Amino acid sequence: MNSRTLLTAHGVEWQAAGRTILSRLDQEVIAGECLAIVGPNGAGKTTLLRLLVGLLEPSSGSLSWGETPYSDFSRRQLAQRIAYVPQSHPLRIPLTVEQMVLLGRYPYLSALRVAPRESDFQAVAKALELAGIEALRQRPLGELSGGERQSVFIASALAQEAELMVLDEPTTHLDPLHQREIASLLARLNRQAGLSVVVATHDLNFASLLADRILALRNGAVVACETPAEMLREERLAEIFEAPFSVVRGGERPMTLLEWER
Amino acid sequence: MRSRRVLLILAGLWLATLLLTPLLGSRLLSVGDLLSQDPTASTIFWSLRVPRVLLAMLAGGALAISGLALQTLFRNPLAEPYTLGIAGGAALGAVLALQIEGFGQALGFPAVAVASFVGALGVSAVILGLAMSGYTRETSTLLLAGIAISLSCSALVLFVQYLADFTKTFRMVRWMMGGLSVVGYGEVLWLLPWVVMGLVTLLLFRWDLNLLLTGEELAVSRGVDLKKLRFGVLGVSSALVGALVAVTGPIGFVGLIVPHILRRWVGPDHLSLIPACFLGGGAFLALCDLGARAIMAPAELPVGVLTALLGGPFFLWLLIAGRR
Repeated sequence: MNSRTLLTAHGVEWQAAGRTILSRLDQEVIAGECLAIVGPNGAGKTTLLRLLVGLLEPSSGSLSWGETPYSDFSRRQLAQRIAYVPQSHPLRIPLTVEQMVLLGRYPYLSALRVAPRESDFQAVAKALELAGIEALRQRPLGELSGGERQSVFIASALAQEAELMVLDEPTTHLDPLHQREIASLLARLNRQAGLSVVVATHDLNFASLLADRILALRNGAVVACETPAEMLREERLAEIFEAPFSVVRGGERPMTLLEWER
Repeated sequence: MRSRRVLLILAGLWLATLLLTPLLGSRLLSVGDLLSQDPTASTIFWSLRVPRVLLAMLAGGALAISGLALQTLFRNPLAEPYTLGIAGGAALGAVLALQIEGFGQALGFPAVAVASFVGALGVSAVILGLAMSGYTRETSTLLLAGIAISLSCSALVLFVQYLADFTKTFRMVRWMMGGLSVVGYGEVLWLLPWVVMGLVTLLLFRWDLNLLLTGEELAVSRGVDLKKLRFGVLGVSSALVGALVAVTGPIGFVGLIVPHILRRWVGPDHLSLIPACFLGGGAFLALCDLGARAIMAPAELPVGVLTALLGGPFFLWLLIAGRR
């Protein structure tokens, strides 16, 4: 992995209605890495993602892409660099897979937006191939399973040809098989296609298998940003989630289990 | 491409409606009558029916495209050109003009038309102001605000009606039924530039509207300027509908059902959907108006009454059939 810095957050804060949701955060995203963000509900994960994508402007502090501050980019220019897959999508999207993926080309449309160009269709074909959903091309989104839908949203983000993809809980609501599918898709994109990934998740094992580093948030503040092996320890997890975890398999990518009393 | 085929069919229907409906009515005309220079036939055709059909086609198209754009913008299938209180504002203007003056003239247009246009623009300005201010981050709030304004206008209309005498009340009620009965080419020429502007603007926004189908957050993350889009769509459709209501009165349901039918038929891409709605809405309203002229001939039913009579049950059927 090279160590070029893709994105830098410097003293980023976010306040809403007088309440601090995220307090003074310094974080870098390195080119080619996969950074997972974990933390209990309300820790500020989604807020952090929306700040990183540029959907929110920090109340104080600054974000920059390489050396350039976000404010120097137009929304579209930023979208050519960072693609976002939000947590929830409208229930009914009346599009086919191909139409949905083509909409990922929006940031590249010319001012008059006449018609998509050849390069746009090439990007769509490549995105469908990378996501492994060429077979679904003509299918309406409404007919797909949850896992297939999620792959389509990822393919649509891939069509943005951005260097960084930011995903908000991409495996929530999916059954184990599809969770694994999305995880291996992201791993493939990250390791083979060189895409940098920032992903918020509640699934610690997913984070452990996928991520190079895990950033833990609690009450809007960073607890730690460490490798999976460092982060996934019983004391650390108890501190973050206030819940007893056992680490059931050690090594580079530990697996964890939430303990139950019954 | 399926959508291109449907567009061709709609264009054919539109053209056929344009050519045939002026010949039909309480007195049937033939091409022979027109060629033989029969003065009565010629007057009926050129001075009465052609401008009326043209106005119906422009008005129907305008109602359908603004209905479509508002449904997409609000992600709400029940949004239509009148939901935002535009018709309410126009009605209030018209009713006030009728109460104060009866039928007068202003700038060469009937005072009622001018007052209703001003009423429609007034309401639109309030909605646009809300859309631009920070108070309504959520687009759905804007929709609710429109409904609130619409209800307030209705209440004021009732109040003015209560104060009015019988003749004036009758005229007010009659205006609110919406109709195409007394038109000449002036109304057509008045509406034409608004319709062209509406079509062009909405077509320029077609990518933004398509992307909005995937959710506001995703759309914004890819560079859709939500403020600009709201301003453009709301501004254009309210100006368009305001200009239209001023000459025809409120004609309901066209903006609701035409986009619904065509969305099923043409698909979701606004590049084909916008022209389809323009063509389909125009043909639909011209045919409805033909029906309104024919049902009780020689008397005429206001076309707004007919579209409302057809629209309610038809929409219900569409909803039930849609579930399958």
